[in-house]
Amino acid sequence: MSTRYFGARVTRNEDPALLRGHGLFVDDVRVAGVASGAVLRSPHAHARIVGIDARRARTAPGVLAVYTHADLGTLGEPLPKLIPHPTLIHHKTQRALARDTVRYVGEPVAFVVAEDRYAAEDACDLIAVEYEPLPVVATLEAAVAAGAPRVHDDLDTNVCAHYTQRVGHVEDAFARAPHRVRARFVVDRGASCPIETRGVVAAWDPRARHLDVWDSTQAPIPIRNGLARLLGLPEQHVRVVAPDVGGGFGPKIMMFYPEEVLVPFAAMRLGRPVKWIEDRREHLVATNQEREQIHDAEIAVDADGRILGVRTVFLYDSGAYIPYGLIVPIVAATTLPGPYRIPNYHCEFRAVFTNKTTVSPYRGAGRPHGVFVMERLLDQVAADLGLDRAEVRRRNFIQPDEFPYDVGLTYQDNAPLRYDSGDYPACFARALELIGYRDWPARQARARADGRALGCGVACYVEGTGIGPYEGARITVEPSGRVFVATGVGTQGQGHMTSFAQIAADVLGVSPRDVTVHTGDTALFGWGTGTFASRAATVAGNAVALAAQAVRDKTRLVAASLLEALPEEVELADGRVFVRGVPARALPLGEVAQAANPLRFAMPEEWEGPGLEAVRYFAPPQGAFSNGVHACVVEVDVETAMLTISRYVVVHDCGRVINPLIVEGQIHGGVAQGLGGAFWEKLAYDDQAQPLSTTLMDYLLPTAADVPPVEVAHIETPSPLNPLGVKGAGEAGVIPVAAVIAQAVEDALRPLGIHITEAPLSPNRLRQLIVEARRSP
Amino acid sequence: MKLEGTTTLPAPVETVWKTINDPEALRRCTPGLTELTATGPDAYAATLTIGIAAVKGTYKGTLTITDKRAPTHCKILLEGTGGAGFMKGEGVLDLEPEGTGTLVKWAGDMQVGGLIAGVGQRMLGGVGKMLVGQFFKCLEQQLGSGA
Repeated sequence: MSTRYFGARVTRNEDPALLRGHGLFVDDVRVAGVASGAVLRSPHAHARIVGIDARRARTAPGVLAVYTHADLGTLGEPLPKLIPHPTLIHHKTQRALARDTVRYVGEPVAFVVAEDRYAAEDACDLIAVEYEPLPVVATLEAAVAAGAPRVHDDLDTNVCAHYTQRVGHVEDAFARAPHRVRARFVVDRGASCPIETRGVVAAWDPRARHLDVWDSTQAPIPIRNGLARLLGLPEQHVRVVAPDVGGGFGPKIMMFYPEEVLVPFAAMRLGRPVKWIEDRREHLVATNQEREQIHDAEIAVDADGRILGVRTVFLYDSGAYIPYGLIVPIVAATTLPGPYRIPNYHCEFRAVFTNKTTVSPYRGAGRPHGVFVMERLLDQVAADLGLDRAEVRRRNFIQPDEFPYDVGLTYQDNAPLRYDSGDYPACFARALELIGYRDWPARQARARADGRALGCGVACYVEGTGIGPYEGARITVEPSGRVFVATGVGTQGQGHMTSFAQIAADVLGVSPRDVTVHTGDTALFGWGTGTFASRAATVAGNAVALAAQAVRDKTRLVAASLLEALPEEVELADGRVFVRGVPARALPLGEVAQAANPLRFAMPEEWEGPGLEAVRYFAPPQGAFSNGVHACVVEVDVETAMLTISRYVVVHDCGRVINPLIVEGQIHGGVAQGLGGAFWEKLAYDDQAQPLSTTLMDYLLPTAADVPPVEVAHIETPSPLNPLGVKGAGEAGVIPVAAVIAQAVEDALRPLGIHITEAPLSPNRLRQLIVEARRSP
Repeated sequence: MKLEGTTTLPAPVETVWKTINDPEALRRCTPGLTELTATGPDAYAATLTIGIAAVKGTYKGTLTITDKRAPTHCKILLEGTGGAGFMKGEGVLDLEPEGTGTLVKWAGDMQVGGLIAGVGQRMLGGVGKMLVGQFFKCLEQQLGSGA
C-alpha cells in the first residue's frame, strides 16, 4: 500500500474545533428541560445504614425526586461483574445506591434530582442518614492481619483472590545463587484526574421508547449494551454517545459507575432529561483509583549479575469492591520481567478488600509497579556487585534474534505472554547516547565538586498493548468525495480523528483532511469493547485499514465499468480515480460513489450492494509488545529535597509509527502523569480511611513548571501480528517514571546512601530519608 | 486527632465543677453551640455550627457527660452529623486545686469524617486548640463575673 500519510507528522484533524472551544463535552450537551442530579455520599469508610429520612429533602423547593436504594427495584442489585477470573472467588460489586452498608467514603447513598444543581445539593443536606459506624480496614496490611475487621461481612476474609504464576524452578535457582537481593516495595494510591471529570446526561423519549445517553466514558458500546439489559430495553432503543471525552486514563472504562445507572433511571422515571456532572471533590473519592501495592521481592544473580531467578509476593488493594477483576495485579505480575531473560520466575499476589475507593486500571495499570520492582532490584544488584547499572541491564537483555520470545506466563488477555518483536539493546544504547551516559561520571563529579547533587537514571520496560478481542470500522465514501470512518473505540484525546484518517487516506488516495472519523456513538457503530490497554491504533487501526482496502476494491470495481477498464488497472490518488497511466482521464472519487448508488436500472451482482462502503473487523491473536527506555538527569536540593529535572529522554519502540506528532504527545502527557506518581500525587487517607486529599490543594498534580521538556526518539521494529505492523503507545510515557526518578535521586545522593523503595516520593518524604541517612552512621 | 493541655481558672475546684455541669454555662461557653436541650441526666441534644477551613457546617447530635467523680473528674462526649460530615469527640477533664484557683488538665480526641475530613483535616489541630481556648476563656469570664 502507499504510505504517504502513514508515518507523517500530520497535524490533528480534531484540533481546530477543540482549540476554538467548539468541542462537545458532556457538560456542553444542551437538552431542553434538563434537570440536575446530585449524589449524597457516605461520610463513613464503613458503617451500617440504620435509617434514611428523606422527607424534608423531598419537599424542598425545586426538588423533583429523591431516590434511595428502596426506590431502585431490580436496579438495586449489585452492579455487573466485569472480567471474571477463576482465582477471583469473591467478585464483589457495589450497588447503584448502598442498601444497608457503606464501605468507603464517597459511596452513593441517595440521588437527588432537582430543577438545578443548587437545589439538588441543598436537598442532599436535608437527607438525614443514621449510620452505625463499623470497624474500618484502612490499610492493606491491616486487611490481611489476623482478626481484621471484614469489609464484607458475608465473607470470612478480606482476600478475594490468591493468584500464582511460575516459570522454571525458582527455589532451585535461589538455592544455588551466589548472590541475592531482597526488598519490600510500596506503591501508593493516585487519582487519574482527567480535566473533564465524569458526567452523564440522559433523555428518555416515551413515544419512541428511546433512551439517549451522553456519557464521559471510554466504553460507550458496553455501556449501551449493559444499560439495555438493566433497563429492559432493546439495544437498538438505547443510544450512548461518548463525545469529546476530556481525558480518560482508564478509570472511565468502568461499567458501571452508579451514576451511569442512576441518571438514565431518573430520566425514565421522571420523563425529564437529567444531567449529573462530577465535581472535582467527588472525583477524588468516587472515581476509581489505582496503584496501591506492596511487593516483597527478591532477585538471584550469578557473580556477573546475570539473572537466575526473580520472585515477588505482593498485596493488591482493590478497595471496597472489585468490579474490574484482577487485571491490574495480573498486569503488574506479568510486566515485571520486562526486557530481561528471567529463566525462573515466581509471582504471587493476594487481592484484598479495604474500606477505600474501588481500584481499576489507571494509565499503566500495574505496569509501573512491575517495572519499579524489577528496575529497583537491578539497581541494587549493580550496587552490591560493584557493576555499572547499565552493564547489568545489558547482560540480561533478550536479544533481537530471540523473537518471538515466550516469557512463559499468561498475560491479561489470557493469551501467552509472548513478545512479538523488539530490539531492546538498540533502544537502550540510543537512550544512553542521548542522555550522555558515557560521560556521566565525569559530569557528576564536577557537579559534586561544586556542591551540587546531580543524578542520572535509566530504566527499561516492555509494555503489553493492542490486545483483543476485536474492533471494527465502517468506511463510507459520500458523493461529495468525503470519506467517513465510523468505529467503536472512542477518543479521549488520543488523536483518533487523525491517525485513523491517515490510514484510510493512504488506501483511498485522499487527504486526511477529507476523512471524517466518528467514534464513540453507538448509533454510528455498535460493535466494539472500548478504548483501553493502548489498543485503539493496533486493533481499530487495522480494522480501518481492512475496511479501507475493501472500499478501494469496490471503488475499482465500480470505476472499471465507468472507465471501461479492468478493476486491477484502476488507481486511486488525490481524490480521483483513473486507469493506471491515464491520470488525465480521471473521475472524482465522489462521482464513483454516486455511480455506485444508482436510482434506476439493474445493479451488477458483483457489487454485492450499493455504495462505496465496507465494514471490517480485526481480531489480533494476542497483544503486541512495545518497549522503551527512559533516562533523566535530576538535581536534588539537599536542604529542601526539591527536585529539578534538567533532562528527560524517552526512546520508544511502538512498531511502525502512524503519526510521530501524536505518539510524542502521548509520551509527553504520560511522562507528566508519571512524574506525578513519582514525586507529587498521593491520595492520603487517615487511620479511619478518611480521604485527606479531596481537593487539588492537597492532591498535587504536576504543573507545567514541574514537567521538563521531554526528548523523544523512536525505534521501529514492526509487529508481525497485524498488517500495519503497529503496537500501542498510550501508556509508555507513564510506566517507568517512578523507577527512573528513584534511581536518579539515589544516584544524586549516593554519598548519603539512601534507598528508595516507595513511590510516590514527595519533598517531605525525601527530606525525611535524607535526614535519616545523615543520622545513621 | 488528639489534643491535650492545661488551663488555670480563677475559682476553687467546687465552683469550677459546678460551672462545667451547668447547662446554661455550657451553652454559653461551648463555641458554636446554638442549642442544648436536656434529654436526661447529663445527656443533651445539641446543635453546633463550626467552621473548619473553608467548611462551615451545622451538626446535630448529642452531648453526654459521663465518668463523673465530683468534683474532680468527668468525661464529655460529643457526637454530631450534618451536611459537611460527622464529628465525634471526647474530652477528659481533671480538676486540681492550685492556690486559690483550679488547674484543669484536659485531654481530647476528635474524629471527623466526610467533607470536613477531606478538606479541613489539616486545619483541625489548630481549630481544635482555638475552640478549647475559647471554651476556657469563656469559663474564666463566667467565673470572674459570678464571683
